[in-house]
Amino acid sequence: MAIKSGRYGTVKYDPAGVTPVALISLNGWKLSLKTDYEDVTCFGDSNKVYVPGMRDVSGSLTGFWNSTNVVLFEATEAATPGKLELAPNSGEPTFTFSGLAYLDADIDCSLSAPKVSGSFKAAGPWVLAP
Amino acid sequence: MPSNSSDIDSALVTKLGADAALLALLPHGAHWDEAPPGSTRFVIVSLVDAADEPMQGGCAYEDALYLVKAVALSTAGADMKAAEARIKALLEDQALVVAGYTWMTLHREARIRRTEVDDADPSIRWYHRGGHYRLQMAPS
Repeated sequence: MAIKSGRYGTVKYDPAGVTPVALISLNGWKLSLKTDYEDVTCFGDSNKVYVPGMRDVSGSLTGFWNSTNVVLFEATEAATPGKLELAPNSGEPTFTFSGLAYLDADIDCSLSAPKVSGSFKAAGPWVLAP
Repeated sequence: MPSNSSDIDSALVTKLGADAALLALLPHGAHWDEAPPGSTRFVIVSLVDAADEPMQGGCAYEDALYLVKAVALSTAGADMKAAEARIKALLEDQALVVAGYTWMTLHREARIRRTEVDDADPSIRWYHRGGHYRLQMAPS
């Protein structure tokens, strides 16, 4: 497979947690899958030794304010998590990172196009498909 | 309807060329880049700079800087002050309607004013007065 461009990335979300639908006017997303590690180095080890803990799934979104789709802001009021689906390239739609997530959002309104940003944290198991 | 950037250029020229008050001051109309031979009082619109702001799956908006200026032969008796003011009134924070686009902003970023010595006859002067206008349009 070739390296693809993030220009064709997508972000989809469903507040009901079932079938995500594209959020519009976004221009970036980040996903962090960092894992905590515990230092279990002992006497006699020749180097530090670690064991992994749990993976922490979180990330962020960026884009522009578009009044025709305010789902991101509505999600900040949700009492239950929605399903978030991230795809690096719409030309490979089966390659997605998805799972339940809670979202929050910021909007920065200056003299240019208002910019929106959001962050999310996993609210259930996340999967990389396929 | 698919968006076409040239339609934005045309809409700007058309808006200026259709204004009766501006035509009374500059009767040779509004033109893109250059006026027809023999014109002595006219408006020129040119593209100074342009950039497309990307977003996933397309263009979020087109960001362009236009030069819009009144140009007149020094002996043509043009009221350059009034012409510049009329251009500003037509454009500053005024919506531009273009098929395939949603207007975001149109405003002057800088003023221009200069006197040009004619290339063919150095005894002739041309007055230029207007400004750089920022126009942002989002494809619908």
